[in-house]
Amino acid sequence: MGMGLKIDEEEESMDLLVESMRNTYADTVREALKDYEFSFVISDPRLPDNPIVYASEGFFKMTGYSRDEVVGHNCRFLQGPDTDRRTVLELRDAIREERQAQVRILNYTKDGRPFWNLFHLAPVFSKADGTVIHFVGVQTPISPQLASTDNIPSCLVSSQTLLPQKLSLVVGSHVENDAVSEPLLITPKTVSNCLSESFKQLSANGPSAAEDSKGNSQGTEEVKATDAVKCLVSQLVASSKGKEGVDEKRCKQLSECPAEGVVNSSLMLSLTRIQQSFVLADPNLPDMPIVHASDLFLHLTGYSREEVVGRNCRFLQGPDTDPAAVEQIRESIRQDKPCSVRILNYRKDRRPFWNLLHLSPVRSCGGKVAFYVGVQLQVMAADEEVEEGSGLSAQMKQLSAVGAIRVAVRSLQGGGLRRCAGSSS
Amino acid sequence: MLTIRRVSTVVSINQVSGAADSSSLGASLPLYCYGRRDTTKVVTNVSENALSLDSNSASNNQPVEDASFLDSLLLSQWEDRMEKGLFRYDVTACETKVLPGVCGFIAQLNEGRHLKKRPTEFRVDQVLQPYDAKKFNFTKVDQQEILFAFDESSDHCSEYSEQAFVGESPNVVAINVSPIEYGHVLLVPQVKSQIPQRICPETFLLALHMTVEVNNPYFRLGYNSLGAFATINHLHFQAYYLHVPFPIERAETSRLYQTRKKGGCKISQLVNYPVRTIVYDVGESLEEFADIIANACIRLQNDNIPFNVLIADCGARVFLIPQCYAERQARGEVDQAVLDTQVNPAVWEISGHIVLKRREDFDIATEDYAKKLLAEVTLSEDRFTEVKKMCIDAAEDEKLDNCEVMRSNDDPYRGASVKAKNYKFAAKFQNLYDECAV
Repeated sequence: MGMGLKIDEEEESMDLLVESMRNTYADTVREALKDYEFSFVISDPRLPDNPIVYASEGFFKMTGYSRDEVVGHNCRFLQGPDTDRRTVLELRDAIREERQAQVRILNYTKDGRPFWNLFHLAPVFSKADGTVIHFVGVQTPISPQLASTDNIPSCLVSSQTLLPQKLSLVVGSHVENDAVSEPLLITPKTVSNCLSESFKQLSANGPSAAEDSKGNSQGTEEVKATDAVKCLVSQLVASSKGKEGVDEKRCKQLSECPAEGVVNSSLMLSLTRIQQSFVLADPNLPDMPIVHASDLFLHLTGYSREEVVGRNCRFLQGPDTDPAAVEQIRESIRQDKPCSVRILNYRKDRRPFWNLLHLSPVRSCGGKVAFYVGVQLQVMAADEEVEEGSGLSAQMKQLSAVGAIRVAVRSLQGGGLRRCAGSSS
Repeated sequence: MLTIRRVSTVVSINQVSGAADSSSLGASLPLYCYGRRDTTKVVTNVSENALSLDSNSASNNQPVEDASFLDSLLLSQWEDRMEKGLFRYDVTACETKVLPGVCGFIAQLNEGRHLKKRPTEFRVDQVLQPYDAKKFNFTKVDQQEILFAFDESSDHCSEYSEQAFVGESPNVVAINVSPIEYGHVLLVPQVKSQIPQRICPETFLLALHMTVEVNNPYFRLGYNSLGAFATINHLHFQAYYLHVPFPIERAETSRLYQTRKKGGCKISQLVNYPVRTIVYDVGESLEEFADIIANACIRLQNDNIPFNVLIADCGARVFLIPQCYAERQARGEVDQAVLDTQVNPAVWEISGHIVLKRREDFDIATEDYAKKLLAEVTLSEDRFTEVKKMCIDAAEDEKLDNCEVMRSNDDPYRGASVKAKNYKFAAKFQNLYDECAV
């Protein structure tokens, strides 16, 4: 990709970040979210590296970062040299398993000051296909005593949290109550007041003298954080619109996604790391449709994602495409074997290009073929070399994409290698 | 005469045919050199100095979590060998599942990995044994099985060349033709220097650098000492990709020691894990990290305590696991049901990734089975307390006692004393040989 594209790329990615919120929630959500004074972020795992797409004023105040330094970046910039690695693993795995987590993690402000963060992460799921649309993360600063890891595990994920959550919520005037106990009135104001108090005390006076025994304080902080998350999630649910709306529960289990041609968000996160043109097609669905196309594929061919997902790749063929090449592809698929073939393809505007296509079957953890991956490499007619980078040949790059996809699909496709009560493998 | 039935695995095609002379290794190989770093902040910004695949990128705008060059190089080379048919079976066709429960043990059904009728050739009661050039070693691997050489760059920049003169005895990365998972490779430091299977600071540092360079938390390096189910007495580490946390990585820890207040390496032990384990967390210096861990391993070696090592989290966390399964097996103390599954608890099994040979074992495998297996591996509380003390002593002691870098063909025991700590254990194992499974 030439230098001239760089500026467009940046604008494009800003657009994606803005669209991430706009596509899912009514425009009124921004005003509504301003009511929440506590520190929180919203990230989008369908975008490369799960970047933050929204951060509260409370977050900027607490961390000292500006909007530009935060939006579009993964939350890991809050970590630092003394952040416990095992806690980071817990968060990484919560995202991989697409579930909630609450951890005590050492974070750092912009000027390098460490602070203990009771961090609560929660997914919101698409109503349409059960994928994770956004992750909500609430930060609650706590005093070092409360963060002591000696007696209390740094992560509260227990086997209970692996099961679907039933959250009982009171939202505005609507009552959704699954629990038998009396409803707890949670409004943005009451929750944010509690949390702001904690933060003010912490930054002004150090560890609060008003807190009594350790156990009670810890319980209070955790409950506050959980309440804050519940409140935020219910706000997002209430603001979400139509088919693209969200829910706090998933409507489809991970194991059900493949049958619907749905790529779950944690697999998506691995796929978007791969900076190459490729598609995944599912041979288990009728006519082997594309279920995922990389950004570079769309860039190469000129199509949009909607025009491509759900169709068989033959739309890339055209009048001068050699039937023998097509037959070679078919034969490899019949035999579940990889192949490399040079084939004439056509972009959306019908301009042809030579594609050194590498095709390979990719298996999931059950050992069966879950996808066919096709990695495209634009080549000149005469010679097969593209501009050489500083290292790997273009063909080797293609193979590295295949390898990366194999590793991801094996663990993340369908139920995959996740802990989950009652999931089938 | 006591025997232990064990079936070995074939690591190289030449191991089976017995063919190939030691000149099968060429002098020209692809070469990856990692940039020098004086103090290594392991957790961040490897990509600052590392190569990016995209020749245009200034690397400044790349998110830190892009795949590193070495990560892509490894995957591409492995995929290349896979498509050339160099592996004995397609490991991605092996069923794998996570056993229900909080720990998240991973079980794989792999019927093709283990050969029948192949004896391994050395005694299992000694952690330190002399190198024997007549037995299979990594100078005998097929040229095609070697992916690239791995070394330190002359400056702070990493670099890669497709063909380089690699010198007399390069560090090489080779495929394991009987892989446990996708990307299963062997790191063989100084391949022609005839180093037996043992840890020392220089080679351990190399292993750490590899995990740092790959920079992928799902790519770990493992080491098995003799007596802890290493099958070849030629220094090597193993590694593969599996995109899932290992149970051992999830386990809680309790702090034992820190070398110094700021930037020091931390030593902890696992809490609530079936195998008693020491955990190291890196400080600011990778060299210090390697020294402290290697020092501890040397003490274990000299005390004839078999152990395994797992390097995880991009080189930031290392698990040191002393074990006594072989000893218990020889004494007939291991549960028969566990023995029947014929699983040898090496580093991967102990970490929570268990490869099972039989369909019936795979189908009924549970977290309880995994815990039962690992319960046979762990040292007792008393013995583990001694090991803890050794590890902390090793961290406090800057000097290396009893170890020199092995570069020549001299007596490999030079400077290292072998003490049989437990006389009863040693006596039972006199003249012990593995026999082949029928």
